Amino acid sequence: MNIRLKILSGFLILVLMLLVAGVISIYEFSKISNKVDKILNENYVSINATKSMITALEREDSGILLLLLGSWDEGRKVLKKADSAFIINLSIASRNLIDEKEIALIKNISKQYTEYKKIWKHPIVGTKKEHNFEWYNKNLHHRFLMLSNSIQELTMTNQNIILNYAKHLKDKAQRAVMPGIIAIVSALLFSFIFSFFIHFYIANPISKITKRINDFILYKTPFEINIDTKDEIKSLADSIKELISGYSKNAIK
Amino acid sequence: MRLQVVLRYLGLILLLDAAFLFLSFLVALLYYDSSSIPLLFSSFIAFLLGIFPLIFVPKTIQVNNHEGIMIVVFGWVLTCLLGSLPYVLWGSPFTLTNAWFESVSGFTTTGASIITNIEALPKGLLFWRSATHFIGGIGIIMFVLAFLPMISNNKLIIFNSEMSAVAKSNFQNSVKEALRILVLVYLGLTLLETVMLWVCGMSFYDALLHAFGTIATGGFSTKNESIASFHSLSIEVVIMVFMIFSGIHFGLLYGTLLGKKPNIFKSEIVRYYVLSMFIGIAVISIVNHGKEYPDWGSSIRYASFQVLSLGTTTGFATTDTGHWMPFTKLILIFFSIQCAGAGSTSGGIKVDRILIFFKSIIKQIKLLQHPKAVVKIQINKVILMEDVAQSAVLFIVLYLTIIFFSTLFITAFGTDILTAFSGTVAAIGNVGPGFGQVSSMANYGGLPSAVKWILSADMLLGRIEVYGFLSLFMIKSWR
Repeated sequence: MNIRLKILSGFLILVLMLLVAGVISIYEFSKISNKVDKILNENYVSINATKSMITALEREDSGILLLLLGSWDEGRKVLKKADSAFIINLSIASRNLIDEKEIALIKNISKQYTEYKKIWKHPIVGTKKEHNFEWYNKNLHHRFLMLSNSIQELTMTNQNIILNYAKHLKDKAQRAVMPGIIAIVSALLFSFIFSFFIHFYIANPISKITKRINDFILYKTPFEINIDTKDEIKSLADSIKELISGYSKNAIK
Repeated sequence: MRLQVVLRYLGLILLLDAAFLFLSFLVALLYYDSSSIPLLFSSFIAFLLGIFPLIFVPKTIQVNNHEGIMIVVFGWVLTCLLGSLPYVLWGSPFTLTNAWFESVSGFTTTGASIITNIEALPKGLLFWRSATHFIGGIGIIMFVLAFLPMISNNKLIIFNSEMSAVAKSNFQNSVKEALRILVLVYLGLTLLETVMLWVCGMSFYDALLHAFGTIATGGFSTKNESIASFHSLSIEVVIMVFMIFSGIHFGLLYGTLLGKKPNIFKSEIVRYYVLSMFIGIAVISIVNHGKEYPDWGSSIRYASFQVLSLGTTTGFATTDTGHWMPFTKLILIFFSIQCAGAGSTSGGIKVDRILIFFKSIIKQIKLLQHPKAVVKIQINKVILMEDVAQSAVLFIVLYLTIIFFSTLFITAFGTDILTAFSGTVAAIGNVGPGFGQVSSMANYGGLPSAVKWILSADMLLGRIEVYGFLSLFMIKSWR
């Protein structure tokens, strides 16, 4: 291989090392950035939805109490609005699931809410249930509390997911930075080896050739040099050798 | 010494590493796991660093003995360094120290790990972890010598630098032939064990990786509870049989297979190796019966596996030996020091030297009784040269001295004496599990970083057989 190609390959390797490390770092960082966006957005939406679900649930409870007090129109109106708000927010929370625990909690909330709704859907005003707070306590209030707790657990789970992800970010950042560090260290090591080879196979033979030529000029010592490589330096040495031997023959003649 | 020559051969070693890293990357791709980029990038770096010296340094250069030693020692260190890249790039739990420890442990076939939850690692990285055993088992240098074109004289010099004198004794062939035998037996055993483990119910992936761990006498498993996770007697029996084979000189195994001499039936060393294991199993089974295990079956089963595992320097586990009695622990420590046969993939002092040591003692006693007698040491009916016997005994003394000083340094960092001593024995013998904090079902993750570096140095010392490694520090005497 000729010198030009050898040197070019050296620089090419150096550039490739840094380029690939750079590409990997950029890829990893953009992956982190996308995931952070996704996690934050989805969890933020989910946390908001759970808050609205609790508000809707409390309004439903007020609606039920109004029905118990005999206010049919107002009670049903409040219940209808709150039910619709709850279902919308439950659907929003269901669309932003990341964790398996979240999925299980949403299923549980949905099941509990269906059971809760089944009870207050039947007529209350004008039946034995009207003004019957014992019936409310026995059949509705504990379900309301259980449902409320499940929704709060979902909020906590979403918050924990964000917290855990923040911890994982440290690892992911290290994974993104490491290729750069390794490429820099490898490039440094490579530079030492490269400069050693340049010195040993290019600079040193040229110095030797120069010295041998000077020795020939000054002391007429024979031009003998050993070049390991088969490149331009070897051709140069051979040519000088031929030139000197030609010159010596002419001088003898 | 010519640095460019050393660099050229180190380049060849790096290229081989790059090939295995790329293979691991393909496995990661197959399983679509998170280790694909770390493995690909490491392979790429290894390839670039390895190919460059080949471009500059012409191949016709002859290698001398000093350069041979440098190639072997730096080859191992560089391989371990490069092997730690995928771990570092993958991240937690691999800090720089942990990654270096895991890599050295893999290449030196020690099998000591810092990982608590092995099953959580991606399959590609686990493949690389076991591949380090496969490469290190036969010796990265041997791999390079066997597969890459090289001048035969250079092969001879590097082969001599890599292989100990004791190991060379049963290779009555040329270097080329010895390498061919080594590789053939190594690959043959790995393939056979993979198929047998697969038949016994392991997945192909697990079977291959456990075969890497067994034949290389390494001990890295894909499961948190090592072989105990499989709850299978047939798997344990297959692994035990292959552990025994892996502890025998490959030249003898080859000779036995072809019905030639030397073979395992004519070898005094193999007889001693099998007998010592048998006595160890019998004693531990008797002691454990009724105390650790209620029935004879369990007693013999666990004793057999643990003695063979530590005695061949493999390091797989089927039970936690940490709760065994001190007496049985000491027997296991003896096997961790003695280890298996030279010319196999095992580490440690090796049974060959232990036999020479015992015979030297008998010779000394005979000389005391008959001062004028000419007493010679014979192994396999061949008279040993005086310097070979002396060198073997000196090796044992040096080995034990290193164990003492290493234990001393480790205890200086607050580690208890059982962990320090058994950890050192397990590291320098390339065994893997010790006792105390580093027992068969525990790991080295909890030790201080400085201790991990000391143990890594022990592993390398054990793998390169002490003299080669120490000669690096005596460069002045080369002149």
